Amino acid sequence: MTDVLLPLSIAVPIVAATLPIALGLRYDDVGWPVAAVATLGLVGSAVAVAVEVYTGGPFDHELGGFAPPIGIELVADELSAAVFLLVSLVSAATLVLSRAIGPRGNAFHSAYLLLAGGLAGVSLTGDLFNLFVFLEIVGLTTYALIAADRSGASAYASLKYLVVGTVGASLYLVGVGYVFLATGTLNMADVSVQIVERASYTDPLVQAGFAFIAVGFALKIALFPVHTWQPDAYQRAPDAVTTLVAALVSTASAYALIRVSYSVFTVDFLAANDAIVTGILLVAGVSILAGSALAVMQSDLKRMFAYSSVAQFGMIVAAVGIADETALLGGIVHLVGHGLLKFGLFCGLALLAAGYGARRVEDLASLARDAPFASGALAVLGLALVGIPPSIGFLGKWYIALGAVRSAGATGGVVGVGIAAVILASTLFTLAYVARVIERLYFAGVDREDAEHGGAAGHAGYADGSDRDAGTAVADGGSGDATVPGTVPTAPLVVLVVAALVAVGLGFAGAGFETLLDPYLSEVFA
Amino acid sequence: MTGATAALTAIPPYLVVAVASLLVLALPRAPGHALGAVATAFVFAQAVLLGDGGTGAHLATTFLGFDVVFFNVDPFSLLMGVVVGFLATAAVLYAYGSDAPRWVTSLALIYVATTVGTIYAGDWLTLVFFWELMAVTSTLLVWQHGGAAVRAGYRYALFHATGGTILLAAVVVHFANAGTVLFSATAGIHPAATVLAAIGIGINCGFIFLHSWLPDTYPRPHVAASVFLSVFTTKTAAYVMYRAFPEGGMWLAYLGGFMAVYGAFFALLQYDPRRLLSYHIQAQLGYMLAGFGLATAVGEFAVVGGFAHLFNNVLYKSLLFMAVGVVVYRTGVEDIREMGGLWRVMPVTFLVYVVGAASITAVPGFNGFISKGMVLDSAHEIHDYTLLLDAGLLWWLLVLGGVGTFMSFIKLGYYVFFHGSATLSPDDATAFQTAGMALAAGACVFFGVFYAQLIELMPFTDLILSEEVYFKPYSRSHLTESAALLVAGFVGFFALKRPLGWLAHHMRDVDAILFPAAFYAGRWSVWGVTEAWAAVDRATMRVVGGAKWVAMNPRQLLANAGVDAEIRAGIGRSVLLLTLTAAVALFALLLG
Repeated sequence: MTDVLLPLSIAVPIVAATLPIALGLRYDDVGWPVAAVATLGLVGSAVAVAVEVYTGGPFDHELGGFAPPIGIELVADELSAAVFLLVSLVSAATLVLSRAIGPRGNAFHSAYLLLAGGLAGVSLTGDLFNLFVFLEIVGLTTYALIAADRSGASAYASLKYLVVGTVGASLYLVGVGYVFLATGTLNMADVSVQIVERASYTDPLVQAGFAFIAVGFALKIALFPVHTWQPDAYQRAPDAVTTLVAALVSTASAYALIRVSYSVFTVDFLAANDAIVTGILLVAGVSILAGSALAVMQSDLKRMFAYSSVAQFGMIVAAVGIADETALLGGIVHLVGHGLLKFGLFCGLALLAAGYGARRVEDLASLARDAPFASGALAVLGLALVGIPPSIGFLGKWYIALGAVRSAGATGGVVGVGIAAVILASTLFTLAYVARVIERLYFAGVDREDAEHGGAAGHAGYADGSDRDAGTAVADGGSGDATVPGTVPTAPLVVLVVAALVAVGLGFAGAGFETLLDPYLSEVFA
Repeated sequence: MTGATAALTAIPPYLVVAVASLLVLALPRAPGHALGAVATAFVFAQAVLLGDGGTGAHLATTFLGFDVVFFNVDPFSLLMGVVVGFLATAAVLYAYGSDAPRWVTSLALIYVATTVGTIYAGDWLTLVFFWELMAVTSTLLVWQHGGAAVRAGYRYALFHATGGTILLAAVVVHFANAGTVLFSATAGIHPAATVLAAIGIGINCGFIFLHSWLPDTYPRPHVAASVFLSVFTTKTAAYVMYRAFPEGGMWLAYLGGFMAVYGAFFALLQYDPRRLLSYHIQAQLGYMLAGFGLATAVGEFAVVGGFAHLFNNVLYKSLLFMAVGVVVYRTGVEDIREMGGLWRVMPVTFLVYVVGAASITAVPGFNGFISKGMVLDSAHEIHDYTLLLDAGLLWWLLVLGGVGTFMSFIKLGYYVFFHGSATLSPDDATAFQTAGMALAAGACVFFGVFYAQLIELMPFTDLILSEEVYFKPYSRSHLTESAALLVAGFVGFFALKRPLGWLAHHMRDVDAILFPAAFYAGRWSVWGVTEAWAAVDRATMRVVGGAKWVAMNPRQLLANAGVDAEIRAGIGRSVLLLTLTAAVALFALLLG
């Protein structure tokens, strides 16, 4: 079973992606059932892969029976299993959300399945060129999904991402070409060997290859200053698409960066090239600060958390640059944790937008009274993003900062301490914009009941709760696709609350993460 | 150590008094006061019983990492315990007889408890702890009276909070240098902390210029509260001064000499009886500090003289406050010029006053004669700055203080009990007032006559009573000296009555400058801090407001600066940025 598990994980969603379109010729609403079944299969295979990896160790599959390094190889190890699990779970959860608030068309579900398959491919492939292919699948479907809103702004955002993203992907491809020239192979494991045998870590060809690859990933991850596509894309895309894209697409690229940096070029390459490490840390540090500061400045909720991602991915990339075992553990934990948190946050925002038309910070005023669970989950996830323990957000940042300080202690450099200081500053910024949201939700002094019923109604008491809801609905209604205005759909709300609880619960799993990821870390830092 | 003694050493006396203090509030007045008297009598009895071999550091433990001793019994703390316990018992009786509210007695007892805690502290940390508590409890005792006592109590609190903080600093410095806070580990406070300790303790001792709180506070509260206040804070301070400087020092001795003159002189100018007595506290402390100061120059004799004077002072100074308190209590008048001829209607009070006055002025047959003679004898051996009669400056200062003391008590007695015909005809002291006064007065006379008993209670008893030391209080020279002082006092008072009266109207103590200066300095500093903070606040809010505006309106900012441009990157600029980044990365790598 394990032999075909990996190819099936990728092939099933991609093949299934054709079904909604094909069947759509005859039936109207087949998209969701098909997507649901395929996604459930994806979750199943992800769980199976995870169980196999974490109990029996990494395994691989040679596609078409062609042996590497010539053939393409799929690899599941401790790192890719974690990302694959995140991808499958978040995809499934998003499907629950999109069922309630749209989009719902057959075309959407095809693109969705294609995206899920592409993401699974990115996390499982063991081949540099194959990685490019899957990144392009992910990119192209993302462009399409962002434009699914059919508004001018989303079309522009999509076009912007398309142009910039294509250039970025090309840079990655150029980099892969250089590496291929230098080593004569595309298999990741083989490249890491051939770099030493046929070239060297300081070979200009290898260096230039890494530079192109890193810049390409920087764009896909959306690091400052090549993040410019990302806020527009997140803001203009349909809410369910934003949830999926924000949680997974940049995450997959960041995973690819970790994979290429540590499994292909290896930690020795980083050690041999100070300039690269310095550059990575510089970009990461600037990203953390600029992203946080820009997030504070926003009034649009989705844009605010889009910029927040720029900062959070800055931390993950910083963990890559620090090249310390603890920091990389933190980077991986934060990679998974940030995906989960951003899924929850955008899901919560989507629900509030669908139910109450809340798109800007000021729209949130006193929503905690109307939507206590969604607001509560949003607050918990926001605080987890700040890094308040116990939460997965705290865990990731903590390990990164700890690794940074430890590496500074080991080398006596100021860089590590600087990164730790930047993370602290960013935490304060994060607190600032999360506090804005929480303040609006809970403490904004808008008493809509008094505004509607006049002063006398205030003395009448709260006995007419149902009447109050109806009144609010009339006042706020009109937005949201097919959901009932003034309410929050139940199924995604349950998913949201579960996400918030998991985000807190994983805060206690620090030792678990250390144990599960230890084989991978000790291998790359061997 | 017998079993009974061992049991006694396990009971910290201040806890007993503190419990009694609470019970006074809870119980009816009579049993409450009875219990208070029993508790303070326990302090006395315990100290007397422990005198037979109960010495040592009891209740030694570790607190917050410091070695501390909560019940340190040695000859010095024992003599303090004896006299404080004895006098507190008399004072509780007196308070009961003076219609003191239960709150006064309760606060007075908790004040006694903290005093006892200070006395029996075996380390600087415990001492400072109780020392600060003394300041708090005594302030509450003053405040309880309300009215003018509140402001005076506030000044009192400021003085003692300052002193307590300085003493705490001294203890910190001491610990930093000596590495321990235990008394037993070092001789006195570490030299590095000398100045801090001297000032911190000196405020409570009434050093000149640091004494303003004394005549300011003690005349104001309830007469019974004054009795407690007049003896414990200052005398404990003198005791702590010896703990800090067991070697003494000429600076301390001369300071004592000047305090004796200064206090007696200002006492002469007062017409408020309790204020007059308060200045004498300073003068009397001068004698004690003179004795302690000569510890090295003269020897144990001077130290014993200082402690004997401390011991006696507790008795007669409170006795005088009691006697004067009876007059104030019965007449409601607080100006001696409005009294007069009272000896006929208040014979008991008059008699008690005479005993107290004779004791403080060192008339033979009373306890002050014994101890003041010891201090004067010690001072006579100092021959720096020799003046007349082959005696040094210090001796002359102390003698001059003695003359001033005579004069002022002649004045006080003359105005209160003689001085024209009686315009007031109050009743005499109540039964319990009389009982309290009789206890104190009896002790004054007893120790004046049986002075060997006084020495028995002192440290270095064997040395003082041995043949090596010349200790004969009733020798011809002492009697002559005393008679000379008496004559000088009478002559001085009646000769100088008019000039002194004139001076009393024109001579102000340092508090005339000190209090307004402190008041306005405080007011200005509050204003300054408030305004400075407001300025910081305004500046911060302006910066935050500006930053917020810039963050919310970045384009507007650029437009104001003359740049009208889209700052959000479009597609073209995004690609440019990407290309530039790739170029920079390549150059940095390949050329770097």
